[in-house]
This record gives sequence, C-alpha cells and structure tokens, in this order.
Amino acid sequence: MAKSSKLTTMIIVLIPVAVGINYAGKFFAEALKLPLWLDSIGTVLAAMLAGPIVGGISGAINNIIYGLTVGPVSFIYALTSVGIGIVAGLLYKAKMFENAFRALISGLIIAVVATVISVPINVIFWEGQTGNVWGDALFAFLRSKNIGIWLASFFDELVVDLVDKVFTVFIAYGIFRALPKSLIYNFRQEQ
Amino acid sequence: MKAISLYVDKDTFVHKLEPVTKFWYALASVVLSFIFPSIWMGLLILSTSIFLSLVARVLKNMVGFVSAVLVVSITMLVIQGMFYKENVTLVFTIGGLKFYKEGLLHAILLIIRVVNMITAFGLLILTTRPSDMVTNLVQKGMSPKLGYILSSVLQIIPQMLSTASTIIDAQCSRGLETEGNFSEKLRAVFALLGPLVLSSLVEARERAVALEMRGFGVSNKPTFVREIPETKVDKTLKFLMKTILIFAISWRVFSWIMW
Amino acid sequence: MDNVVREIRKNEKIVVQNLSYRYPLSNNKAIEDINFSVCAGESVGIIGRNGSGKSTLCLALTGLVPLFFGGKRSGRVLVDGTDVLEIPKEKLVRKIGLVLQNPFSQISGAKMTVFDEVAFGLENLGVEREEMLERVEKVLRRLDLWSKRDQNPFELSGGQLQRLAIASVLALEPEILVLDEPTSQLDPQGTTEVFEVLSELKRTGITIILVEHKFEKLVEHVDKVIFLHEGKVIGIGTPEEIFSMREIDEYSVGEPIYTSVCKKLNARKPNGKYPVHFEEAIEVLKGALKSHDTNG
Repeated sequence: MAKSSKLTTMIIVLIPVAVGINYAGKFFAEALKLPLWLDSIGTVLAAMLAGPIVGGISGAINNIIYGLTVGPVSFIYALTSVGIGIVAGLLYKAKMFENAFRALISGLIIAVVATVISVPINVIFWEGQTGNVWGDALFAFLRSKNIGIWLASFFDELVVDLVDKVFTVFIAYGIFRALPKSLIYNFRQEQ
Repeated sequence: MKAISLYVDKDTFVHKLEPVTKFWYALASVVLSFIFPSIWMGLLILSTSIFLSLVARVLKNMVGFVSAVLVVSITMLVIQGMFYKENVTLVFTIGGLKFYKEGLLHAILLIIRVVNMITAFGLLILTTRPSDMVTNLVQKGMSPKLGYILSSVLQIIPQMLSTASTIIDAQCSRGLETEGNFSEKLRAVFALLGPLVLSSLVEARERAVALEMRGFGVSNKPTFVREIPETKVDKTLKFLMKTILIFAISWRVFSWIMW
Repeated sequence: MDNVVREIRKNEKIVVQNLSYRYPLSNNKAIEDINFSVCAGESVGIIGRNGSGKSTLCLALTGLVPLFFGGKRSGRVLVDGTDVLEIPKEKLVRKIGLVLQNPFSQISGAKMTVFDEVAFGLENLGVEREEMLERVEKVLRRLDLWSKRDQNPFELSGGQLQRLAIASVLALEPEILVLDEPTSQLDPQGTTEVFEVLSELKRTGITIILVEHKFEKLVEHVDKVIFLHEGKVIGIGTPEEIFSMREIDEYSVGEPIYTSVCKKLNARKPNGKYPVHFEEAIEVLKGALKSHDTNG
C-alpha cells in the first residue's frame, strides 16, 4: 500500500471539507449579520495544511460548486479563489503565519492579490463593475471623475475585498493554531 | 439530506443528452457571444437557449437564475449610459444626470452577453444530475480522484451546513452573542467555526481510512454502475458545435489579421 | 516466542510477531511486543481500557499503521504468510476489511444511493459491471438492506449505516474482517442488528477480529480474547480465562455484568473460573445461593 501518488487520499478528503468550511463561514457570517463574506476560510486553511497547490484546487472546486448550485456567475471568479489558495499556501511556506502580526500582513497581501486577479475579470465581463452595491457606487463616482476603468474597478473591488479577506485570513490563522499537532501532521505528510 | 444541486428532474430530449454535449453547447454560446459582439448575435444565441429551456421545461427555473443579475444589469445601464467612453448622442436626462445612446446600447449588449452565459450554462446545470456529470467526465478520462472530490463535495456541504446549524442553535442557548458589536460577533464566528473545523477534519481523516480500505485510487480505469451512453444525436450535436466554433474563431482571427 | 521466525502453520490466517509501533510525534510506543496468531475462521475479541492500543492494533493488522499514519513499526504482521506491508493494495483490500466506530465517516460521501455506495469499492477495483451488480445485490440482501437500495445513505439510521459499512466492505469479499468498536455509537437496536450480522458471518467462515466494550455480547461471538493494557498483551485465552484474570479488576477493564455479580459473590465454575455466559452464570449463582442457604 504505497502513498506515493501526488493526490493522496488525505488531500482528497481535505478538499471537500475545505469547501464545506467556506460555506459554513458564509453561513455564520450571514447568521450573525456580519458585513463580511467570510467564504474563503476553508481555502486558506487547506492551503496552510497541505500547501499552495491544494489551496488552489480547493479554491477552484469551491467556485465550480458555487457555480453549479448557486448560479453560473461564480464560475468566472474561480481564478480569484485559486489565487487566494496558492498565495496563502506560499505565504505559509514562507513562514508568514508564525505569529499574529505576520498573519495580518498575510491577510493584506491576500486581499490585494484577490483584488488584482478579480479586476481583469470584472473588466471583461461587466466593464469593471463588481455587482456589489457599495463598490459599484464608488466605481460610478470614480468614473464620473474620469478615472479609468481599470483603476476604478480596482478600488471598487478593494472596497469589497479588503476587510473581508483580512478577517478571513486572521480567522483561518486562529483556527489553525488551535488544531492538534497530530492532526496537522496527517495532512503534512503529503508534501 | 439532499445533495445540493439545481437539477430539475424531468424526462425531456435535453435531459437525455450526454452532459458533455450540453457543456459544448454552453461553451460555444459563450465563445460566440464574445467573438461576435453584436446585439443580433446575442439575441440569436439567447433565443436558442430559451427554446431549449422550453423543450426541457425548465424555463421557470431559468428565469430565477437570470433575476440574479437584475441589479447588476440596472447599474450597468446607469453606469454605461453615463460614462461609456464613446458616448455622443444624448437620449435623456434625469435630474442633471445625462444618459447617452451609445452607452445604453453597449450596456444592453453586455447584459445580453451575461444572460446568454447564464442561460447556456444554466441549461446544463438544470438538466443534468451532478453525479451523471461526474461519471461522464470520468468516462471521458478525467481522474476518478477528481471525480470523487466533485461528487463528495455536493453531499458534504449540506452535511456541514446542517452541523453548523446545530452548533449555532446550541451556542445560542448558551448565550452566544448574536447581537452586539463587530468584535463580539467576530469572536462568535471563531467560537462557532473552530469546533466545526476540528470535527470535520477528524471525520475527514477517518473517511480517508475508509476510502483506502475500499481500494480508492487503485485503478485509473474504474468501472461504473451508472454508465452514461453517447448516442448518435450526441455525436452529431457535438460535431456541429465544434465545427461552428472552429469557423467562428477562424473567421475572427482572419478578419483581425485583415484589419 | 522470541525473535526467531517460526514456521507458519498451515491454517494460521494472521500471525503477529513482536509487533511494536510508535505514532509520529509521540515518544511512547502505542503497542509493544505483541505476539499472537489467529486461525482461519476463528473469531477473536480484543479488550482493554481506552488507550491500551486496541485501535492501533486493528490498524496495524491492515497495514494502515504505519503506511497511512507514518510512525515507526517493528516486528511483523503476516496474513497468509506475507507481511501486510508487502501486499499490494488491490490484493490487500480483498483480503481484509475494516469497520470503524463512527458510522457517518465510513460512507464515501460521493454516492447518492445505498446501492452505489456498496458498489463503490468494486468500481475502484475495476470489477466488470455484470459481476458488480450481482455482488452488490447479494450483499445487500444478506445484510437486509435491499429494500433501502435506492435511498440516500445520509438518510439511514446509525445501525443501518453500520450495516452499510459492513456491506460495502463485504462486497469486496474479504477473508478477514476487523471491526473496531462497531457498536459504540449505536443504540440497542443498532447494536443487535450488527451482532446478528456478525453471527451470520461467523457461520460462513470469515475470520473476525472484534474490539468491543459490550462484553456480554462480545463473549457470545468470539472463540478467544486478547487482553491489552498500555500497549502490551496481558493475556490470551478463552473469554472465561481472560475475564477471570486478576488484572481485569486491577486495571478496571470491566466484564460482563453477570460476571461482576459472580465475582462479588465469589461464585465460580467447577474449573475455578468465573462464568462469562448468561446461562452459565445463572447456574453458578443458583448453586452459590443454595450453598448460602444450607450454610445458614
């Protein structure tokens, strides 16, 4: 019984759970009426547990499933989720989750990455808008001042993403720290 | 506990098509609407999708999908109507805000494009069982491990949401702060998610053990209890769509070079 | 038994020799120096307090320890003469089946019906569809799940789920079945269902390794018992031999409830052991009460 194949069983069971945690985070945020999405906590956790590739895959699967169950719009933003997963995994490897301060920086980095990836998608599909009322209001305002589509879209997206992603990463960090080492080890072997 | 899916169980021509066939249709629709950015092409594709929705008797569900982009559509009309870079012809003014024809038309094009995307993929999603989609893909060569991930996600999510529901009820009865300021609520999320994550990961590890003992990953060529057949109709339709796509892309590249 | 490799007798299905294992990140051995053998068709129970190494031993019998969990194993586990670590996975899962405590974590989660769930292992192994359909039906009928074949596994009760887990494993037609506390999360109804299945399996000649805390049930279903404590074997023998050991009380392991009663009244069988079966216990107690009466 060898464990040499890349996509080992532990990773395969981790990915659906990561997506489930994404959904649960969103569920709790809504139930508590928090002005946040909190729908990427699982992706970040998977990346911390099993690396950037697994994080990326979790992000992709997450959006594919959203697309199949909520509406096809989510398919498009799969790349953003993939980006979040990969960057989170890389940051973890770079020891950027060793303490709370570094976790905060990681949160900011991930927020910016998510924003940057989403902007071209916004521009291609809805000429820069995000579909979020507040963000788009800002977008309209910036466009009225003759600010270019790309820059306006960037700020539109940042408004939507910054706070949400920073808290997402911070919560993932907190939960990760509380996990038993033996459990983390099980996922670790696969790297 | 039903798996989360938008599948509408009916017995129509569209339902009986191979999932991959429907996927090619969706892909073709989206690519064509981008290659030919004209309102007429958009409407043509849209009417095809609507017709197919009627055949599949899922038009009602389709409307539900499309209504999701209603708000964005309106804001697009507003923003493009006012700020589109080629705006020249004033159409009307509302309280000092100027709306131009070019922008409004552009917004309409965008909206049709989005609606096309949604209806084309919506058709696939509404008429195909997720498990059948996965089986079809694995039959065509997708890794069975990936197939497992996609299949299990659809059932594990409602499981976890149900557990999440139980957790929140239990915690509320213990006086969890659901009202309160931002930081209190944040702490609450933490207290709710932490145990859920832990128990889910432990259960996942046990599931991995069970999977291993049932030969998971042993063969790259598994067999299937529910095989998805590829009929002549499927073959014809797929060929048709691939051909249309090739022509369209070639035409586009050609005309791009000529310009 | 020392470190010399002794010759394996013909009908010894499982032979464990000097088995020790340490989990990764741990300094202590979870199991140490385990030696025993199991003959084909035998049913063996494993008892011991929590943390005595019972689950680890089960996992070692399947090779999951150390292959899946990491860590360090010494000694050998031989199944039909070959070490489990050297048996390729496709052969191993057809030889040994594993059933665990939690009914919910043993379903694949990827299948929408009970039928498909049982077929899952066969699909993985690439078994031909015709044969697959036959085997699944056979096993579902055997475990009284045929009527539920179109139901979603998540809609089943705990006992039904455990039967489903057993069915899924049996579809692969293993010769050995290892069960680690299969009824600990079940209600009395579910427990009865599972033990009925075990009785029937024993009749068909499957070799069974069973970890159980419900001792009254355990003794009715096994031929011999292995008693573990802190990772080591304290004793191997018939149920009554083991439950009569002083270490049972010393380590607070527990025993069938009527055995406790007999121990309190010092009511033994003629062979000096405490009874572990209900009927025997009644007889022994009757005798004890009688002699109590006659002694005034």
